[in-house]
Amino acid sequence: MHERLSFYVHRDSPLHRLNPLTKLTMVFAFILLSFGSPWYWTPHILIVLVILPLSFVGRVQREYLLTAARLIFPAAGFLFLMQSLFQPIGQTIWFRWWVLEVTHEAVAFAFVNAARIIVMVSSFTLLLLTTHPSELMSDLTRRGLPSQFAYVIISTLQIIPQMQAKAQTIIAAQRSRGLDTQSSFVKRVGALVPLVGPLVFGSLVEVEERAIAIEARGFTSSHAKTSLCEIPDSRFDQILRGALIVSVILAFVSRLWLS
Amino acid sequence: MAIVTLQNVTYKYPLTEAPVLQNVNLQINEGEFVAVIGPNGAGKSTLCYTLAGFVPHFFKGELTGTVEVAGVETHQSSLNEWVLNVGLAFQNPFNQISGAKYTVFEEIAFGLENIGVPREEMKPRVEKALALTGISDLADRSPYSLSGGQQQRVALTSILVMEPKVLVLDEPTSQMDPIGTREVFGVIRTMAERGMTVVLAEHKVEWIAAFADRVVALKDGQVLLDGKPGEVLTSPLLEEAGFGISRYTSTARKARELGLWKKDQLPITLEEAVEGFSLTSSPSPKERGE
Repeated sequence: MHERLSFYVHRDSPLHRLNPLTKLTMVFAFILLSFGSPWYWTPHILIVLVILPLSFVGRVQREYLLTAARLIFPAAGFLFLMQSLFQPIGQTIWFRWWVLEVTHEAVAFAFVNAARIIVMVSSFTLLLLTTHPSELMSDLTRRGLPSQFAYVIISTLQIIPQMQAKAQTIIAAQRSRGLDTQSSFVKRVGALVPLVGPLVFGSLVEVEERAIAIEARGFTSSHAKTSLCEIPDSRFDQILRGALIVSVILAFVSRLWLS
Repeated sequence: MAIVTLQNVTYKYPLTEAPVLQNVNLQINEGEFVAVIGPNGAGKSTLCYTLAGFVPHFFKGELTGTVEVAGVETHQSSLNEWVLNVGLAFQNPFNQISGAKYTVFEEIAFGLENIGVPREEMKPRVEKALALTGISDLADRSPYSLSGGQQQRVALTSILVMEPKVLVLDEPTSQMDPIGTREVFGVIRTMAERGMTVVLAEHKVEWIAAFADRVVALKDGQVLLDGKPGEVLTSPLLEEAGFGISRYTSTARKARELGLWKKDQLPITLEEAVEGFSLTSSPSPKERGE
């Protein structure tokens, strides 16, 4: 049974120590830069010279490269292939096969788009690998994010694995009473029916009790909330955030100016 | 001095016909440890919710009569103010874990964060509460990795840490083994001696007999008996009304029929039972060889 649904890898690194908001800013800055920069090679440079080295700085290179190899690169590769084959743009035909035309322009377009996807998913992966979800949420709550919103995110991450465990228990209980869950597809779909009732209605009852429990602990109290863990926000963090925002603005301005 | 006063309290949940509480009158003094007993459906949980302000602020429905805690009436107060005075822990520990925290320590601190306790004050308070309920060694574990009994202790601790004037507990030991139950009853007793008022809905009459100051027996939403444990728990009315009674009491009652119990007062604890048995009595009809 998984104890929680989270990618976080507990390690000590400069990237782990950065303020969560700085990392979040970084993620959005990379994404905006890869889409907004006027220079074609921006996303590719970001991947090779920024994101990859950052995974080493954060000491999560193994986890990052595994995710990249299993998920990010296959998905981006598929996108590249599809767009190269089916994008109806460009005149410089490289080759023709059956009804498909592969043009220079389509391949270039697909190549930059695939890189953008890699930047987007990779920077979020790095954020999740190096930031504890509750740290991210309590930092954002401190800066004005409604605590209800933060609660929904964090409790979902924890409660989903609990619901999976409960579903397993219900299945085991039904099977011990002769429910067939392992034969043909039709039978298996049928087996889901007696699972859904207890799981859904049970969860609704739980929601009410949980609401009472957190209310009893002053969740909607009108006092200003405090936080147990202290999340450092250094001068360096602030400068880095400023620099990231400025670089995004510069990228968009130069794009407008060049066009 | 009465800290909790219920006057003619009648309550009906929305969508139900019959009232769950009927004309309940109750006065509880500061520092008193009151146990509420009753068969399933007698209104124990509803009484707990009423004291804790969830009736009428959370459950709506029709509440008549007055509920007053520490000089304030529920109708005049809001739930988030009310919970500062009255703490509630209930039966199912799994649903009392906030889900917002990754360790037991943070889980206990959750309530303190919500009511704005400064960070410097928070740590010592959490540590003290953990030590009190004997779960300091669980501080770094995930609340979801604990057993039911341990989770119940976490739920109790997370309310105790908020230091409410009145502590309302609805079967807080239902998933504990006998040793755990004794420890938790000990903790509750300590809190009462320190001046916290405790209202405990519970089935385990033997523990109530040993620890509570007063017992209120509820039946069909009405107060059937209210008094010292020795009086209430030995009352013949209890068994008639379908309550579970202590095995010491029931054994002594049998013994009285056989002439083995000479005292007027029936026992509620092991000690009283051992003391009161007179084995040198007249033999029972069977033994006389009939």
